[in-house]
Amino acid sequence: MIFKILLTIWMSVTIFAAFLCIEPAAGFPGEVSRILFFHVPTAWVATLAFFLSMIASCVYLITRKVNADFLAQSSAELGFLFCFLATVTGSIFAKSTWGSFWNWDPRQTSIVMLLMIYGAYFVLRSAVPDHEKRRVFAGVYSILAFCTVPFLVFIVPRITSSLHPEDTLNPAGSGMDTKTLILFLSSLFAYTGLFVWMLRLKVRMLKIMDKEQGVKFKV
Amino acid sequence: MHPTKSGRWITQTVSSTYLTEAVAIWLRDLRSEFRTRYAVNSILMFALTTLVAVSFSIGSFRIEESERPFLYAVLLWIILVFSALSGLSRSFVKEQEAGTMDILKLSARPQAVFLGKLFFNLTMLGALELIIVPAFILLMEYKIRFPGCFAAMMVTGGIGLGAGTTLVAAMIAQADARGALFSALSFPLLLPLIITAIKGSERAAYGISAAGWPEVKIAAAYAVIMITVSLLLFPLIWEE
Amino acid sequence: MCTLKVTGIGKYFSETILFKDISFALNSGDVVAITGWNGSGKSTMLRILAGLVRPSAGLVEMFCDNKSIPKKSRRQYVGMVAPALSLYDELTAIENMEFFCRVRGIAYDRKSCFNILERVDLVKHAEKICRTFSSGMKQRLKLVQALIHNPPFLLLDEPGCNLDSRGIKSVKNIISDQRTCGITVIASNEKREVDYADSIINLSN
Repeated sequence: MIFKILLTIWMSVTIFAAFLCIEPAAGFPGEVSRILFFHVPTAWVATLAFFLSMIASCVYLITRKVNADFLAQSSAELGFLFCFLATVTGSIFAKSTWGSFWNWDPRQTSIVMLLMIYGAYFVLRSAVPDHEKRRVFAGVYSILAFCTVPFLVFIVPRITSSLHPEDTLNPAGSGMDTKTLILFLSSLFAYTGLFVWMLRLKVRMLKIMDKEQGVKFKV
Repeated sequence: MHPTKSGRWITQTVSSTYLTEAVAIWLRDLRSEFRTRYAVNSILMFALTTLVAVSFSIGSFRIEESERPFLYAVLLWIILVFSALSGLSRSFVKEQEAGTMDILKLSARPQAVFLGKLFFNLTMLGALELIIVPAFILLMEYKIRFPGCFAAMMVTGGIGLGAGTTLVAAMIAQADARGALFSALSFPLLLPLIITAIKGSERAAYGISAAGWPEVKIAAAYAVIMITVSLLLFPLIWEE
Repeated sequence: MCTLKVTGIGKYFSETILFKDISFALNSGDVVAITGWNGSGKSTMLRILAGLVRPSAGLVEMFCDNKSIPKKSRRQYVGMVAPALSLYDELTAIENMEFFCRVRGIAYDRKSCFNILERVDLVKHAEKICRTFSSGMKQRLKLVQALIHNPPFLLLDEPGCNLDSRGIKSVKNIISDQRTCGITVIASNEKREVDYADSIINLSN
């Protein structure tokens, strides 16, 4: 409960600060650069969620503990949501800086790949009737998919070069002043907190649903 | 094997390896395929109809000379990938539909099953490429500057296709809604390979000096990694 | 000397309990029958014993000469016949045998295979495609397939189904032979087949 309230306050403050306390970065038209505080954290959370889902899948395949699969499933679903948000915010940024919503920038290509992989992951989950098999297949598929990701990292930059701002808005780069950096990190923290809260909620929900089904045979 | 008094016999076990067992499964699949034409028909018909459609609607002159290497590579790989996706799941799906999957689980080691099915799928892909690639080259007047490199790209790309889809085929055979599921699940896994193969074919057709060898290497690495990972994961989806 | 030890196995589907808390132990020479109403889980029980289905609870252990058989190599010790297990329809009888020999790593010898087929009255049909077989002929070939590697654990799900009197006699011979070298588990409601067994496990209770 306290976690929820603190999170609400933290997020609100961060959002207000992102609009009121920071000057727009130089080199970007208008107020566009403020997207840094919303787009990058969603992308970060998506990456984190997919990675967590992969790890949880591995844990499930080794231990066969149902809870690990609940975590894998919830994490994948939230990752998908955040990945979608990152795609949308990203293409708004693309429209206002590069002139078109979509131009197959390497970043856009890889994010579409991720959406496709996890879209397929959910399709697979819904198509296997047996519960245990479904969990195993989902785990196997996400590991297999994970193995193709390094190839994208190699290949995609060979096809086109990226326009994605990296140095100008990279926290490690020199382009960000202290105030921006603090706010950026605070936004990252807020989004991660949001993810953790949603994740716990989702896992709890799956556990309850499973118990409902299980009640009948634990006579 | 000697029959004893009433229906029993003494069997002699010989040393057998994963490979000999895999070859037994491969040969059996080929024999079944030869008699039923279950996979070959769907793959080849799909490939030929798309090839005819492409050739008819685009022909060998609609595309400008300078655009050809790239666009032809794209068209060729789209034909190859989608024909493959139309039929490569058949060998596993058929086991499931004919009710022979359990008997195979009872008698063969999972790794041998995977390798046998992989060999079978690679045979199908080999046949597909042997027919479609020359036909495409002839119909579209595809000029290739580095034929050796182009051939290597076809071979490694084909092996990659088989490597990336065989495990998926084994999964969807045990799921509902098999047909559509196979393409939906395979495509994201194949995308890196497809992009590589298109780039490699383009550079082999119209490149300078070293042409597409880096792409050939990437495709080979993809195939090796996918086969290794699939071999490790296959027992998980095969047993129970 | 082989032992089959089953402790507390149960199988649940999301809505129902099929069976639970089944335990028994069998030694070489034992013949046991599993009976029960339709849908009581006889076939599922056999599939669990064969390792085709994972039980929701409990443990299946197999020992031969006091050594535990790991799950991975169980296939070499188990032979199974069941209505749901099909042979390869587009191969001939002899090709089916050849395949199962090769895939199990058994020396394949065409002549002995013909001898075996003779024992189940299939030698005339050895070169015929299995699709053309009657269900009784298929059942005979399935019996051959289950015995080809001389398994110490023989699982028979309705072994007599579709068989004529001669076929039923050879099932009887197979079971009495198995008494001398291993364990037989029969799942059936057919009185004649249940009578082969020394003990009965009723899943409907």
